[in-house]
Amino acid sequence: MKTSTISRRKFMQLTSVSGVFLAVGCVPGSRGEERIANISNDVSLALNQFISIGQNSRVTLFNHRPEMGQGTFQSIPMILAEELEVDINNVIIKQSEADQEKYGWQMVVGSHSIQNEFEKLRKMGAAAKEILLQAAADQWGTTISDCVAKNGVVTCSSSGKSLSYGELVEAASKLKAPEEPKLKDPENFSVIGQSVPRQDIPLKTNGKAIYGIDISVPGMLHASIERSPVFLGEVLDFNEKEVLAVPGVKHVFKTQRNVFGRNREGVAVLAESYWAAEQGRKALKVRWNNGDLESNTSASIMEEFRKASNGKGDELFSRGNAYEVFSKSQEVMEASYEAPYQSHVPMEPMNAIVSVKNNSAEFWGSTQNPNGIRSYLAKQLEIPEENVKINYTFMGGGFGRRSLTDVAEEAADLSKKAGVPVKVTWTREDDQTQGPFRACSLNVMRGVLKNGKVVALEHKVVSQEIRNQTGENMTAGRQLMGGINTEYAITNLAVRGVLRKLYVPISYWRAVYHSTNPFAHESFIDELAVKAGKDPLDFRLEMMKDHARFRKVLEVVAEKTNWYGTKKPNTGRGVAICERSGAHFAMVVEVERKDGRVKPTKITTALDLGICVNPDTVKAQTEGSVVMGLTAAYYGLTIEKGRIAEQNFDTYPLLRIGECPEIVTHIIQSTADPDGAGESGLPTVAPALVNAIFDLTGRRIRKLPVDLRKIS
Amino acid sequence: MAVIELLLNGEKKSVDVDPQMPLLWAIRDYAGLTGTKFGCGIAQCGSCTVLVDGGPIRSCAVTTAAVEGLEITTVEGLAKDNEHPVQQAWIEEQVPQCGYCQSGQIMSAVALLDKNSNPSDAEIDDAMSGVLCRCGTYPRIRRAIKKAAKI
Ligand code: FES
Ligand code: FES
Repeated sequence: MKTSTISRRKFMQLTSVSGVFLAVGCVPGSRGEERIANISNDVSLALNQFISIGQNSRVTLFNHRPEMGQGTFQSIPMILAEELEVDINNVIIKQSEADQEKYGWQMVVGSHSIQNEFEKLRKMGAAAKEILLQAAADQWGTTISDCVAKNGVVTCSSSGKSLSYGELVEAASKLKAPEEPKLKDPENFSVIGQSVPRQDIPLKTNGKAIYGIDISVPGMLHASIERSPVFLGEVLDFNEKEVLAVPGVKHVFKTQRNVFGRNREGVAVLAESYWAAEQGRKALKVRWNNGDLESNTSASIMEEFRKASNGKGDELFSRGNAYEVFSKSQEVMEASYEAPYQSHVPMEPMNAIVSVKNNSAEFWGSTQNPNGIRSYLAKQLEIPEENVKINYTFMGGGFGRRSLTDVAEEAADLSKKAGVPVKVTWTREDDQTQGPFRACSLNVMRGVLKNGKVVALEHKVVSQEIRNQTGENMTAGRQLMGGINTEYAITNLAVRGVLRKLYVPISYWRAVYHSTNPFAHESFIDELAVKAGKDPLDFRLEMMKDHARFRKVLEVVAEKTNWYGTKKPNTGRGVAICERSGAHFAMVVEVERKDGRVKPTKITTALDLGICVNPDTVKAQTEGSVVMGLTAAYYGLTIEKGRIAEQNFDTYPLLRIGECPEIVTHIIQSTADPDGAGESGLPTVAPALVNAIFDLTGRRIRKLPVDLRKIS
Repeated sequence: MAVIELLLNGEKKSVDVDPQMPLLWAIRDYAGLTGTKFGCGIAQCGSCTVLVDGGPIRSCAVTTAAVEGLEITTVEGLAKDNEHPVQQAWIEEQVPQCGYCQSGQIMSAVALLDKNSNPSDAEIDDAMSGVLCRCGTYPRIRRAIKKAAKI
């Protein structure tokens, strides 16, 4: 074919939205092998970095965001397909390469993929469609307003002639794509808003989906790394000889890496197989200098937080003057709430393969942050970024844990030392006990009621801050106030932060501070409602009467749960609301007492996240958030002797299927731009649950985790 | 090390391994079938579930030597291209999110339905309670098992 002789550089010169390239190569974890084979036989021409079309009209759409279960593997191509006017169920979806210049920042965090990329992706689809229309118009000697694109075919309105995208792609690829193409009216969306089956799912039911942990590369060694259970312990010595005598073990290295400004030491065992590396590690005996860190416990940390909470704290938000109201009030209600450290626990244990060569490096693995790994490796190894190849796969869960580059850093260090590619695989125990963790939190609430209304409220957060874990700066930053709802019509509102710095490493965990602060905020709003003698849902509605989105989700959840109907005996219900990543959620948890045990039976959510690209995926994400929220309400990590006590699922369980209540999700129809869906269902779970338990039992839970076996 | 003959998805496969090594690693690292997953290594999560003579076992907690000659089925051995009713139902209900736990879920569901073609909610919860899913796909797993029972 003629086009195949055009060089890549030449293609790049043919300007379109962001340059043109030949769609070749594949990233592990992309579409089924047969389809990939198909595309490489046919010359596929790129109309931009997201879209390429074969001369047989096969459309390939590139998803540029790593997939960890959130479903953007399907939703991103859906946005492209909508504007491109192609059948979404008949396209090939491939994972794009990791290239920040071409795709922008690709990290998947904060439920941003759809939210931040929506307009850009629409423009990519629309711009490609426009040059296909132009190519057709040129051929027919007419204008593009005389041409209509639908289902991969352009039809001329006046003559009735038609040409497929495959017939037009070569000519289109030579045209300059418009920078501001015309976008569809959301009223006319036919792909966006439909529940479209995910193309990654069949690969996940037959074992074909490839995750980082499934990859091997020729000549690689497997590494397992022992680190001090007390995080910052230093290696005094270890029994190298005995470990080297274990069959299959090749090297034992002392290793170190930087974690949020602190040095973490470890001893790595490198062997021919994972199993051999594990046997070597079992034989390994390291003496650690843990300094005085072993005196820390969860209780001592909370005690210190409590003392610190007596300080004024730093202002994070202020409206009116809550303190003046407090000083003049007869009765100031006060309550404090606690949440423990949590581990991320992606089902796929952390892993990475890195091969360091003379002037190049290659990474294979599951990551939320391919660009971050690429730039880390380039910088660390002092090689140009173009010489760093990133192969990223499906992730067996991320939840924020895989936004860090730590395991790739370890693999790079060991590959350099050993001179061969090295695969580092963490055990479940490593994952559970080494962190970084979701921070623990103490939240102190104060409030004043007058005539049944909240006139003043203070929310004081005592916690560690992810962005400020070491160093001298002790001023609390706004990150600490994540999830604190300032939209309630409360005239005098103060949010303050008391920053703590500890040796325990923390990081982003699904919904971040939204996973702790709303527990306190929404529980305390309930306490105020009870004190005021008001229905807790009405109490919230009243304070949200001017907030259309919160009002709507509250009204819908009330209607769907028959909130105002009569309650069955031995049941209770609790409500909570929250905004996360722009999405507004109201959730009702229903609990029941049966055979002396209290358990949630049904969790109903109403959510407004603007345009919902793939509603079934949003529902799945909400179900997932509810399950993770319940798990975090029931279980938590404890620190004993300076280390995490819960090593594996036997002591830090996840919710099991039999404990999972019915989950019902109602999506509010909207044409507003999309908000994030991946985390927003989590923040309301714990407060709605404890509010329901209070409703049933009269007992107020202010400390997580809550052991339901102890509640009757 | 010892040569152990496995009967894997209907085919004979010899692996030269430490006989005490768990079956999980023989399947993944020596037979090259990576659909069976490592999640905890202590028989607590179920990600590594395979069928041995039709019954579900945690392959991380069984030595390779112990299953020599027994019939082992992994997710790859269920069907050629997702034709198994459980796989069909899983796709129809759009069960997987990250997908990592799903071969353990599917193998456990297959074992359940082989024994009980019309399980109740309680029977489903009971049979599936040992397989953890961090992504929270449980509501869909329940629906899919009921659907598969009808296929
Ligand atoms: S890996 Fe075997 S049960 Fe978890
Ligand atoms: S689908 Fe991700 S752990 Fe189950």
